[in-house]
Amino acid sequence: MGILLFISVLLVAACGLIYELVAGTLASYLVGDSVFQFSTIIGTYLFAMGIGSALSRYLNRGLVYRFVWIELLLGVIGGFSSALLMMAFAFTQGFELILYALVMVMGVLVGLEIPLLMRIVRDRYEFRDVIAHVLTFDYLGALGASLLFPILLVPRLGLVRSAMLFGLVNAGVALWTTYLFRAELSGTRTLRVACLVVLCALGVGMADARRITATAEDNIYADDIILARDTRYQHVVLTRFKDDLRLFLNSHLQFSSRDEYRYHEALIHPGLAAVPAPRRVLVLGGGDGLAVREILKYPQIESITLVDLDPEMTKLFSTHPMLTKLNDQALLSPRVHTTNADAFPWVDSSTESFDFIVIDFPDPTNYSLGKLYTTAFYRAAARHLSAQGLMVVQSTSPMFARDSFWCIAETLKQAGLETHPYHVYVPSFGEWGFVLASTREYTPPVSLPSGLRFINVEGLSALFQFPPDMAPLAMPPNQLNSQVLVRMYENDWKDVSH
Amino acid sequence: MKVGRRKFLRAGSAALVGLALKTDRPITGSFVNDSLQMGHLLRDRAAFPPARRIEKFPVVIVGGGIAGLSAAWRLHKRGFTDFVVLEMNPQAGGNARWGENEITAYPWAAHYVPVPGPKAAYVRELFEDLGVLKNGQWEERNLCFAPQERLFLYGRWQDGLEPAIGLTQKDRDQFQHLEELFAKFRASGEFTIPLELGRSSQYEDLDRLSFADWLQQQGCDSRLVNWYMNYACRDDYGALAKDTSAWAGVHYFCSRETEEKGPLTWPEGNGWITRRLLERVGENVRISQMVHRIAETKRGASVFAGDTEFQSEFVIFAAPTFLAPYLVEGFPRLRDFTYSSWLTANLTLERLPDSRGAEPTWDTVFLDSPTLGYVDATHQSLRTHIERTVWTFYWALADGTPAQNRQLLLDKDWNYWKEAILHDLERVHSDVRQCVSRIDVMRMGHAMIRPAVGSVFSAERRRLTSRHTRLLFANSDLSSISIFEEAQYHGVLAAQTVLDNLHGHR
Repeated sequence: MGILLFISVLLVAACGLIYELVAGTLASYLVGDSVFQFSTIIGTYLFAMGIGSALSRYLNRGLVYRFVWIELLLGVIGGFSSALLMMAFAFTQGFELILYALVMVMGVLVGLEIPLLMRIVRDRYEFRDVIAHVLTFDYLGALGASLLFPILLVPRLGLVRSAMLFGLVNAGVALWTTYLFRAELSGTRTLRVACLVVLCALGVGMADARRITATAEDNIYADDIILARDTRYQHVVLTRFKDDLRLFLNSHLQFSSRDEYRYHEALIHPGLAAVPAPRRVLVLGGGDGLAVREILKYPQIESITLVDLDPEMTKLFSTHPMLTKLNDQALLSPRVHTTNADAFPWVDSSTESFDFIVIDFPDPTNYSLGKLYTTAFYRAAARHLSAQGLMVVQSTSPMFARDSFWCIAETLKQAGLETHPYHVYVPSFGEWGFVLASTREYTPPVSLPSGLRFINVEGLSALFQFPPDMAPLAMPPNQLNSQVLVRMYENDWKDVSH
Repeated sequence: MKVGRRKFLRAGSAALVGLALKTDRPITGSFVNDSLQMGHLLRDRAAFPPARRIEKFPVVIVGGGIAGLSAAWRLHKRGFTDFVVLEMNPQAGGNARWGENEITAYPWAAHYVPVPGPKAAYVRELFEDLGVLKNGQWEERNLCFAPQERLFLYGRWQDGLEPAIGLTQKDRDQFQHLEELFAKFRASGEFTIPLELGRSSQYEDLDRLSFADWLQQQGCDSRLVNWYMNYACRDDYGALAKDTSAWAGVHYFCSRETEEKGPLTWPEGNGWITRRLLERVGENVRISQMVHRIAETKRGASVFAGDTEFQSEFVIFAAPTFLAPYLVEGFPRLRDFTYSSWLTANLTLERLPDSRGAEPTWDTVFLDSPTLGYVDATHQSLRTHIERTVWTFYWALADGTPAQNRQLLLDKDWNYWKEAILHDLERVHSDVRQCVSRIDVMRMGHAMIRPAVGSVFSAERRRLTSRHTRLLFANSDLSSISIFEEAQYHGVLAAQTVLDNLHGHR
């Protein structure tokens, strides 16, 4: 029986360490500051183990019986600890409280285990052997767990299932103990039934872990996730809360259906309504079809060319009922021609000319996207402008990223264009900016299509006024070989988030 | 069930082996563009076929690298087209050759040209011809995109190649001291490109000791300073600082303006320039034409390639100068021409390997690696989304003597170099073996001239550049440094001399 008993010690020790690591890792993931999280969690855990050891002296009879129950309790609490913590973070305000309470409870239970085990086996061995054997296997188990955790468990199983797997081990040890000590145990049947119940619960949990994670993630995004998809190019998430649809690309908010009309009316109408007799329009980016929806309000426009990198985006916005409702089935219009291509090479190779060009790319968060905000790109795009043509560029926030906004304006200027920067307030974004660019003088339009909810002729001139906190700054242009904008943008937003 | 110990161990170790074996993708590839065999035919004075045909050209250019093509460009631009360029390899370009696969074009050797200063008038003229320089502005698309260079050291990345993190005060002081010295040298106007336009005897002393000795004299014993100085010598000269003339070492740091932008680069490196030159003079270029004999005559020279004798009035010898004693009848032995050996490899990557969170750059270098790192061929792409790419891996064999390194290139098989390259990359990109599908390796025994001690001011070199005969030399090795600007300078200059004399006696 000896070796089998000591293997239980090893397994029990491994379980104890795993729960501690799971708690530390989850807290680091969710709250951040891993040094603080690991220090306080290890401290609390060890302290709780001390309490457990102190309490062990009050357990006098039925040691094996109590050991089995402790194992079962630990199996349930530890096994579900990870899932519980994710839910706590997603659904409650008291994540820290629950975290440390859980760590205390697990610590106390783990602290009880070894003293009990030592006492259970003390009659079978000499005292010095008991100490030596139990502690040896205890430390061995800890080593195994600490190696398994980062190498195999986290990458292969994830945190939720790793905890559950070791919950199963705890429950398994409990069941095994009822066999090892069947001679001195009474009521083994009840114990075994309890063991099986715990094993089943954890088994179901393992199989269903994905749903638990998904449920928690749902709530971390605040609203219901109605679609989450990894396309070849980006991570697309669509959320809904009541009547508010929101699109996130790589976790960056693209629009909220409650106020996107402000953004898209402002993007299109100050420019397009000022072009005399526009017939052909180019939209770069904007696979959501919302800019196209605004452009279709001009009956004289004959053709709209939409160039967006991601075919899944344009397909989604041509087929998903909620989304086609939002863009008025704009992408299905016979006047719209959709091309899925990388914008810069497309602009370079096309020879078509357009009366209005809409440049609506994601913000310049990296050097790849930064290429689409350079003098080289704007020069190439401007070659497609007809004599009366205008170009509009989404230019991030003149309020939160003031340097970046004026850098984009300067870049357009250096590309040889006249620039007319303006800004609007979009509640879900904040103050947002655009730059109109042309090869000729621009005068704001005197009439607009009917049915607009935000832009009107009287209010137009105000959009071009910048108050002192958004006023122009002297910035260098963004060029392919310097890409100053990417770092500027990063710094701008870093300042905001502090 | 009782499991025997032996059986248990066997099952256990099988499981462990299974875990340890990652599924590496098979990597194909081979040696490419080898010209070692052809070179050895010349060295061993093998018998070549007798001439069966005669062709007559007023001007024959031997060698279709940048020097030869630049000579051709100059002749062509001046309206003279009655010439032929004879290139030994099946592809023209020399050290500015390129390759192409379904992903991108990529360089085989030289991959950039620093933005030329005002002295490099011929280079500026060429770039105006090619649309790279317009109204005094450099075409943005031809300047290297940001981010340009990164160095991996102490487990992390830094921008730029001069070590900037983990420096002690001593390291900082020595970098600062050198910068001040270099500023003084730069201001002297002695260290120019082309080299010939600035070099006077003022700093001839520097050519009498090695760059390593000079650094020691300046009190530079910092490990990082020495690494960086050695990196510079390996990169531009294929040599260690101890094998480089101090004059040349100083030239590397003092011949260009400090605030210049750039460099100019293209996916296929300087192969882009080769392509543009071939668009202009390609009709006059004959490939796979190995010249095996040149005989000077009273009215010019006869150049023998294959079974053809090309009779000419002028020969521009733009091939590496060390070949002259093997080709030109009665030509004396050369002593001041030493060449470094190189290995370049093009790696096809099916996906980008893990780069520890960093965005890709153009040039990547690892501190303390014997290699020079790699350049990403798709870096100059205008696309925002890049999945597959080609890396050009550079390795100047600088340790040991050139003869030993040439022997190493001959002795080791493709698999040896493949493994060496992957080992080097794995120090940073741990999953690179799962990303690479092909590695093609190019061996170059005489890749570039080495500015050894005494070679910059060598009398032998001066004699070759100022020859007043109908056989003119034009290779960049006349300058003792192997860079695009020098090759182009000598090529253009030789063509100009030929034009002057042709018009003179016609």
